[in-house]
Amino acid sequence: MSWALFWLVSFVVAFAAFGVISLLIAVRGVAEIRELFASLEEERRRRAP
Amino acid sequence: MSATAVVPSFSSLDAAIAVLSLAATVWIGLRVKRYVGTIEDYLVASRGMGLYVGAASLLSTEVGIITYMYQAQFGFVAGFSAFAVGLITLAVCLLVGRTGFVITRLREMEILTVPEYFEKRYGRAVRVLAGVLMAVGGSLNLGIFPIIEARFLAVVTGIPARYLGWTMAALLVIALAYTAIGGMVSLIVTNYVQYVFLAAGTVIVTLVCLREVGWSGMVAAVESHGSGRGFDPVADLGGGFIFWQILLWIALMTVWQSVAMRTFSTRDAAVGKKMFTLTGFLFLGRAILPMAWGIAALAFFWGRATPAVAPPAATPLLRIEQVDARLAETFSRDLEDGRLERALPQVDLLDRLARAEAPRSPEAARFVDKAGERRGEIGLLAMPWMLAATLPTGILGLVLAGMLAASISTYAGYFLGWSAIIAQDVVSPLLSRGTPVVSGAEGGFVSEPARSSGSLPVTSSGLSKRARLRLTQVTIVGLTVFIMIWSLVYHLPGPAYFYLQVTANLFMAPTLIAVVGGLYWRRASAAGATLAFVLGALTSLVYLVPSFKVDVATAGNLSWALAVAGFVAGSFLVPGRPFPTVPKEGKP
Repeated sequence: MSWALFWLVSFVVAFAAFGVISLLIAVRGVAEIRELFASLEEERRRRAP
Repeated sequence: MSATAVVPSFSSLDAAIAVLSLAATVWIGLRVKRYVGTIEDYLVASRGMGLYVGAASLLSTEVGIITYMYQAQFGFVAGFSAFAVGLITLAVCLLVGRTGFVITRLREMEILTVPEYFEKRYGRAVRVLAGVLMAVGGSLNLGIFPIIEARFLAVVTGIPARYLGWTMAALLVIALAYTAIGGMVSLIVTNYVQYVFLAAGTVIVTLVCLREVGWSGMVAAVESHGSGRGFDPVADLGGGFIFWQILLWIALMTVWQSVAMRTFSTRDAAVGKKMFTLTGFLFLGRAILPMAWGIAALAFFWGRATPAVAPPAATPLLRIEQVDARLAETFSRDLEDGRLERALPQVDLLDRLARAEAPRSPEAARFVDKAGERRGEIGLLAMPWMLAATLPTGILGLVLAGMLAASISTYAGYFLGWSAIIAQDVVSPLLSRGTPVVSGAEGGFVSEPARSSGSLPVTSSGLSKRARLRLTQVTIVGLTVFIMIWSLVYHLPGPAYFYLQVTANLFMAPTLIAVVGGLYWRRASAAGATLAFVLGALTSLVYLVPSFKVDVATAGNLSWALAVAGFVAGSFLVPGRPFPTVPKEGKP
């Protein structure tokens, strides 16, 4: 495999992986933020006198 | 030779898109302040961060406009060989993610900062020493971000230079506002929103590069104008550079404060490991995509250029001096106006003439260095000028929103990271002499003072949790003021890359060595850790002494070698108190 081909494969993998994982983050991140708020709210109530 | 100045298509629509995105970020960041009650909420979001949000937070913190600029510059100068650094980051992330090297132990200890571990393992003096070096190196490192990023904004938006200082100050205040109030909780939520903008901007710019130049155009540009280099990383960058990058990235992924804080904020160690595996591919894109933009910019401007002709002169050296004099007249102006298609061929001509003459004349060798410096300067601004020349109204606003999101998330993450070090590891220990300023659970090999007290309390400090939170908030404000002043008064003496390496190297090597040694080697002692920090920091400063003429990779590797030597020698010569032969939970 020539260097040019190797770098082309690296670029395609980098671009595709970046796009796919970013999409996953955008979709699944919302639910995780809701969970974080829920746990912080629970913690806040637990600490309240 | 004729060349026209680039006029960016930045319009009020683009400005509105960018401002709205910033306003949305601040609004979201400020709304979550009610969730922050303790220092644990503030610094590590009560350790409730999930996998995907964690990956978004980690990447958006470690990507700013400055990242895009120096990566594009690296691609512009080194061609495809620069991609090797991206592959190194992927390999390191996968290694850390699969094995949990360092991060699992640190996460299980439930600490808030990396130097906090040093107090547990080596005592307070090492914690404060590490804290001081990290605070100085980290703050100076962050201090030039606004200087570099202002140049990007000037090119892409056309904002007059006299307003740039105020623009950067406004961006810093935005980051300060929600970071100081909401801490890590604000950061996690805003980082998620910022990541979406950042990722969209990254994808758009990559597609624009492919449309304008195409992959074959990039390859042709590197083949034609790379002086026979640009494809083989070992030949182009050298084995020493690659080895140093591997060490540096292992340190960055495990003990760099802003990265470590994300590890400490995850729900548990398993989520932390998965986060690194997932983020490895994002870090690959973080490197390779902007490097490809730099190569695309090289192809873009060479595509518009006409070859420069050497002036007639009696001797080759005289010809070189004439080309250099011509460049001195036009170069700065060409950079400011985006006439890179005029500057590039002249720099290339100077480089070729000087290289041909260098074996016969030491004087000519000096011009090889000058041509290299100018190529680097063009490389820093080539990508922004290409965007200004190619992106249409509306799309430019979206890309700018992505870039600003990237930058503000970096400022916010670094503000919190470095101020946590200053407040928790320098000021707080000095204000509460005699009592350990530690949090969370015991782990690894624990120092005698900590063991003799039975078990470590969740927070045992002379300062209350509330006071520590306020102290950190005040430190963030102080750090922001420092960054503003520093970016206004400091003038970079050389390439940004050089400066960033010097400041980071002050503490990177000894920090990783002292952490790894403390976690995995029973004989490691406070004397060894202290010696590692002193030698590692001093060696990094060798960069600053011009008479030594040590290149970045050599000084970087030397810093690692001496930090290891100091750590081992110090630990053998001045052993610490005996540590438990069987650490907690039977871990080796």
